[in-house]
Amino acid sequence: MEIRVRKTVFAGALLGGIGIAGSAFAAECIAPANPGGGWDFTCRTIGKIMHDIGAVDKPIQVTNMAGGGGGLAFSHVVNERNDDGELIVAASSATATRLAQNAYGGLMADQVQFLGAIGADPGIIAVAKDSPYMSLTDLLDAVIADPTSVTFAGGSAAGGFDHLKVLMALGRAGFTDVTSVKYIGVDGGADAITQTIGGHTQAMTGDMSEVVGFLAADEIRVIAVFTDERVPGFEQIPTAKEQGIDIVSVNWRGLYVPLGIDEADYDRWSDALAQVAASQEWQDAMVANGLAPFTKVGRDFQDYVNGVIGEIETLSREIGVIQ
Amino acid sequence: MVSDRIFGLGIIFVALFYLWSAANIQIGFLSDPVGSRTFPYLIGGIALLCALVFVVRPDPDPVWPRLPTLVRIVAAIAVMYLFSQTLKPLGFIIPAAIASGVLSYLISPRLLASALTGIGLSIGLFIAFNSALGLSLSPFGRLITG
Amino acid sequence: MELFNNLAQGFAVALTLSNLFLAVGGCFLGTIIGSLPGLGPSNGVAILIPLAFTLGLDATEALVLMTSVYYGAMYGGRISSILLNIPGDEPALMTTLDGYPMAKKGRAGDALVLSGVASFVGALLATVGLMLLAPILARIAYLFGPSEYFALYLLAFCTLGGLASRNQAKAALAAMLGLGIAMIGLDNTTGLPRFTYGEMHLMDGVDFLVAIVGLFAVSEVFVFIESHGKNSAIGVTLDKITVPFRDIVRCFPAMLRATGIGFVAGILPGAGASLGSFLAYMAEKSVARDKDSFGTGNPRGVAAPESGNNAAAGGALVPMLTLGVPGSGTTAVLLALLLTLNITPGPLLFEERPEVVWGLIAALLIANFVLLIMNVPMVRLFVTILSVPPGVLLPGIMMVSFAGIYSLSGSAFDLVLMIIFGLLGYLCRKIDVPTVPIILGILLGNKMEDSLRRAMVISDGDWTYLFSSGISVGLWIAAIAGFVAPIFLRPLLKKPAQPGN
Repeated sequence: MEIRVRKTVFAGALLGGIGIAGSAFAAECIAPANPGGGWDFTCRTIGKIMHDIGAVDKPIQVTNMAGGGGGLAFSHVVNERNDDGELIVAASSATATRLAQNAYGGLMADQVQFLGAIGADPGIIAVAKDSPYMSLTDLLDAVIADPTSVTFAGGSAAGGFDHLKVLMALGRAGFTDVTSVKYIGVDGGADAITQTIGGHTQAMTGDMSEVVGFLAADEIRVIAVFTDERVPGFEQIPTAKEQGIDIVSVNWRGLYVPLGIDEADYDRWSDALAQVAASQEWQDAMVANGLAPFTKVGRDFQDYVNGVIGEIETLSREIGVIQ
Repeated sequence: MVSDRIFGLGIIFVALFYLWSAANIQIGFLSDPVGSRTFPYLIGGIALLCALVFVVRPDPDPVWPRLPTLVRIVAAIAVMYLFSQTLKPLGFIIPAAIASGVLSYLISPRLLASALTGIGLSIGLFIAFNSALGLSLSPFGRLITG
Repeated sequence: MELFNNLAQGFAVALTLSNLFLAVGGCFLGTIIGSLPGLGPSNGVAILIPLAFTLGLDATEALVLMTSVYYGAMYGGRISSILLNIPGDEPALMTTLDGYPMAKKGRAGDALVLSGVASFVGALLATVGLMLLAPILARIAYLFGPSEYFALYLLAFCTLGGLASRNQAKAALAAMLGLGIAMIGLDNTTGLPRFTYGEMHLMDGVDFLVAIVGLFAVSEVFVFIESHGKNSAIGVTLDKITVPFRDIVRCFPAMLRATGIGFVAGILPGAGASLGSFLAYMAEKSVARDKDSFGTGNPRGVAAPESGNNAAAGGALVPMLTLGVPGSGTTAVLLALLLTLNITPGPLLFEERPEVVWGLIAALLIANFVLLIMNVPMVRLFVTILSVPPGVLLPGIMMVSFAGIYSLSGSAFDLVLMIIFGLLGYLCRKIDVPTVPIILGILLGNKMEDSLRRAMVISDGDWTYLFSSGISVGLWIAAIAGFVAPIFLRPLLKKPAQPGN
């Protein structure tokens, strides 16, 4: 598919530089990972809804381009598709984290335009049901008293988003010896919970969608959610803010587009994305996937991403993930 | 005897290079008790030991191909490499026809049969992959546009 | 009986004419995809997901199609292992060891029928296990922490010695090559790159499919060019194809043992089908009295890994359905499919969505019987592959491999890597270095390292943590026994066998 669109670009140039991808071709959404993950979900769901509600004329092709934790797709967009107005790419907090940590081979966040996010997976901290830690403050106090007493499990590598959330929370509680905090990165959120329920680790850091089933089965206790307000449907879970830990951290699901596209294309895509955000189909998809409403589209979102990247960069520098 | 010794020496160089690379692995401040380098060190070390065993106690030599056969094997590698490099710009059909034709000729040297094999395989597989399995291969890459 | 009510409900959902049609189609497609080198069950299922949406299938229909493809691909992987010595996918790796020698002796038909039956036994019993015990079995996954997993992987590597050709150092070197390649890419624990030399394509590591296709399929071309096909099963005159009842009966206990091992390996999210079939094969070899005939075409060496990997495929559904933890690439794709169908696997799935679970189980049972019925008569068709002239067959396999790898990753880099692996495979074959340990190293290397490092993070570097549970102690004992046994037992066992030779 990638080749097909590039061929079209080439054709456009040959035929007198009229432009790119004619109307004969559908737009493309790159999911920078293999089928099955969050990025794949973003492309397939948003792409499908855009077409279903008529925000775009033709179905959107989804291309999976796994590699380098999204880096391969990022460099592909920057280097080869910089003016392709028919291209959108799935992104999430992980994209921002990796950009902040310079994990895309020197490429920078300002080499693309962040289009918007229309849903977010709230960050959470969970413990096993029989755990002695009843609240976030219990847990953080235990870490502060003896960092070796608690191991956190999360679905991302050390220095990744799940790890950083824990460090940010501890930082808010006044604990800054980040390298003494024990964290293991396992293969995904569900695996992290399994380890925590099994008693191999004491706490799990992840996203709400990853724990919904275990919460319903009463296997775990979610001791904090990192949102401003309690999450609809999960009113029993206290926010970190209520417990005096001022942290808001969500894993947003959104899109970026190439930097060099026409203003009109950018506006067309942000408009289409805003339509998806407002649609009933998307509301249903969010409920089914444990996402909370989180709509930021256009320049606002760009500012938000820049802010997040700045914070992650500072923290990553502190813990030595980047020099 | 000689083969295993040469192979062993080759592995020793690879293992030393591997160990050297391992010593240069970037380590963050977030070090764990085992660390990023322990496993690579172990692997390189054991490989080094195994290679020494080859050098000291080699097995009997295998029969190596003679020059004409060797040339054909090198030709096979070359044609596969060219195929991998032309697949993107030229699409599937033409490089596949040439590559499978040449490979076929290298395996059983009959010119016409090989040519037919190349063309047949290329077109047949293209159709099979694109329609039956739904894998998208570009037929002609950037050669024919639109 | 509640179970039978549930099952009846499942069949009521799954057993419609259109679903049966989908099952047959899915099994057929799956078998083909599984047998093609470079396309395994996980990308088979991934490729066909769009098809499910294009056809506008509902949840049950989509599940029937996908599970048929999944089981079909697990059955299909053995075909090219046996006929061409090229594993169609990674769980079929072990089947090459005895399946291909059988084919070279003209017994390709027997090997295919036997392995088909073995696959059926493994998959059927695993499905029954899933049906009866899934919610209880899910608890086993909780028992396995980093130290238990480390001991499990160690067990696999320690038994490698028993697999070796004459030279143990060569098997060890092969394992080190695989492990060394596995280290390439981002270090899971620190998130920093290792051995990537600034190459973005290496960040995610070397794909094991690229390695398998290179080591087995590409190198086969070189070997064939060199030997003019003398040492190949292509063109070997085949015995008349009959159902080898004697072999099936004789291998039945082996199938049952292998099913048990494979099923447990499948239940553990960190283990999976490849480890299941490997351990099943090694266990069978270690209990056999005719150890030396393994690797030369022993029917039990064909039956055990096939029962093992199909049982593991069924077992892998247990953590996927009850915990939402995908134990393998394929179950990860199936999990994604379930999520898109608004079905969230988890501890409550069996209670909240019984129609889905029992529909799925019924679909698995249907797929299994369809596959058995389809596979045994189709053996006749499969073996005709061997009568295709090598000048057509081998270039064809090459093109399928290249196109398969390329269409999934879109990267010419992977293709070059594949050619390099082909050359490595050729060299290894010439100087008698086994290639199976290389693949095993690539498949399990990172998992083994990660589990050790995680264990040491948890225990603050205290090594005794590795032996802190009964399970890990048991696995350590088995690992040490597996490592030591070939060294001490082999001379003892070999001597009485010598006069017979």
